[in-house]
Amino acid sequence: MRALLDHLLTGMVGEVEARLREDASRMLVSRGDRAGAARLRQARPSAAQRLERAGLLANEPLLAELFARLRQDLIAERLPVRADDDEPSLLARLAQVGDPTVAAAARGLLVAESRRREALAMGDVTASDLPAELHQQLVWRVAAALRDGDTSADRALVEAAGRILAGYDEGERADAQAMRLAFAIDARPQELPALLDEAIGDRRLSLVFAALALSAQVPFDVVRSLAVEPDDERWWLLLRAVDLDPLTMARLALALASADPRRGDQDLPTLLDAANAVSAEEARAELAVLRLPPDFRAAVDALGTGEAA
Amino acid sequence: MSGVARGTVNAAGRLVAADPALATLHARAGGNADTPLAVVPLASIARLARRLGVVVSRPVTVADEEADVELWVRAQPIGDEVRLAVSGWRAQQPWPGPRGDDPVELEGWRWECDAALRLTHLAVGAAARSGSEVSDLLGQPVTALFTLEADGAGGLPLIDALAQRVALRRQRARVRTGGNPVVLEARVRRDAAGSFAGFVGTARPVEEALLATPPLSEAFTQGLDRALRRPLARIVANADSIHGQADGPIAPDYADYAADIAGAGRHLLSLIDDLADLQAIERADFDVPVEPIDLADLARRAAGLLSVRADNAGVTVLRPPLGATAEARGDFRRVLQILVNLVGNAIRYAPQGSAVAIELGETEGRRTVTVIDGGKGIDAEDAERVFEKFERVDPAEPGGSGLGLYIARRLARAMGGDLTLVSAPGRGARFTLALPTR
Repeated sequence: MRALLDHLLTGMVGEVEARLREDASRMLVSRGDRAGAARLRQARPSAAQRLERAGLLANEPLLAELFARLRQDLIAERLPVRADDDEPSLLARLAQVGDPTVAAAARGLLVAESRRREALAMGDVTASDLPAELHQQLVWRVAAALRDGDTSADRALVEAAGRILAGYDEGERADAQAMRLAFAIDARPQELPALLDEAIGDRRLSLVFAALALSAQVPFDVVRSLAVEPDDERWWLLLRAVDLDPLTMARLALALASADPRRGDQDLPTLLDAANAVSAEEARAELAVLRLPPDFRAAVDALGTGEAA
Repeated sequence: MSGVARGTVNAAGRLVAADPALATLHARAGGNADTPLAVVPLASIARLARRLGVVVSRPVTVADEEADVELWVRAQPIGDEVRLAVSGWRAQQPWPGPRGDDPVELEGWRWECDAALRLTHLAVGAAARSGSEVSDLLGQPVTALFTLEADGAGGLPLIDALAQRVALRRQRARVRTGGNPVVLEARVRRDAAGSFAGFVGTARPVEEALLATPPLSEAFTQGLDRALRRPLARIVANADSIHGQADGPIAPDYADYAADIAGAGRHLLSLIDDLADLQAIERADFDVPVEPIDLADLARRAAGLLSVRADNAGVTVLRPPLGATAEARGDFRRVLQILVNLVGNAIRYAPQGSAVAIELGETEGRRTVTVIDGGKGIDAEDAERVFEKFERVDPAEPGGSGLGLYIARRLARAMGGDLTLVSAPGRGARFTLALPTR
């Protein structure tokens, strides 16, 4: 897992670096600065090496994002599929429904997930699947690592970085597409169990997370971070907070247990009994802090850490 | 004995009613009417279903006298009891097949569909390069992407595979947009209860499908086809249908023999490909045209072509990062053929959960690409032997003709390069392809 993460990180930086070098040196050539273009093309060490030496490559939020995403993808890949005779699967069906918003969102999710799985199968992740702030930070850091102090090269790098950032669309990310579909379906509380059940049976973990996020009013990445850890008890609280019935909870938990070797299924009944002893109101109160805006939560955490020190 | 055996487990965990197959399994495991269900994996699934109150479906492997039997178990709690439905009853992997345990040649860009043959996944980049609009295709029937073409006997392999719920082999098709010819292969995806849940497949552009066919005289290739390839393909297809018990149940021994026949047939088919290559490279006037190539790009392509096989084997292939380049001189198709061979071997010998690394380098004016696996490795004195004709990295391993590495080294040398191996027992293998830069 660690080796895969390192590989993905280096690959992602390499992808941004290659584009920056190419675009910026082309701009320099068009301005008649062939020597500058050649310097930029051949600049050593690579951005990944410079960033790593400066301790900027493996920064906490970026690693946390990649780690959670990788875990989600690995679990989703191993989820057992559930076939209902020869019925089309959930997303294939939703992609064809009469409601154009739902159909377009379902197609969007199918494409985004195909793109992401394919990249992962090839051992790549694309930087464009990162949340906006992380994407921006990464592009500027790689640009900074390619800098050699020359003013015209700086200008070319800034323009090349600007182009990459302009071409980025946070809404095309698989997580965002899943949220869009969950919004479009807009499941009522009584429809939520059936939606979760079908989504997990279609191995669409991102839609499970999105439907839960929407229903519990918690950000997608928070739901994901609770779900991909095998022993975060807040995951159970989250399921209770949306007032999920015991049978749907059991089916979700079973599917996750069979897809994630770190979870055993023999202690599931005990865990479920404990979760079901918590009322929806109690669960919501316990999770209230997760609903605060992320920046506010980060500030609260920082203050706590600061005062404890 | 391919049907479903049913049984009921009561609140005390006893098997109170059971079809003969299930009762026999229970008795062989030492159980009787007064003991709890003695087949441990079945008992724990029944217990879990009762305690959770939901249906639990999953495949389990149980030991049945001589053989391991793979069973699909569905446990449904009804009141205090649990109803078991157990299907499968087939000895596991009767013959590992000519190339490890994956009976289908999964090379090319991938597509997946559900039980209703609706596309649920597509290799976005490759499908787009073939001219298809991916967002219009996902969710649509497979036939919205491919126009299927009948085989020599007028049949459609996809229809046969669907009807028999078996792997799809050699379905010729064209990508609807653009008309590029491809060969489709797919394995069956099953749900937790063992039912058909769709295909996980690949589309191999026909140029690549013909990769293994050298520039031989047309007469020879046609002769080989007529004499061997087509009859063998028929034998494989028929043996597969017998193994799949398409025309009704037969004794398990016979189904297994049929799987042996199909596996051996496929082995012979791959041998024909290798022999055709051999014929070409051993000719006195054999010559490989060289041109500038990018080894990094070729290594990524080889890894991409084998990504489904790597997935199936639970092996991660670490490709050179995008943006890395390694300029060398060689023949594009032949270098790809060598790298597919090396990466394919590495995937076959790498333990599940491990990674195969592809590293680029430079030595003595040559560019190198090294394929590293974490397999069991071989002795230094055997390292040269694997490049000889009809020798194998591991003779105990089933499949393979023993010609792949011989052909690969001959090709590398014909391009002015070389193929070498560094390995030690327990340390994996490092195959390095070196090619000149000018």
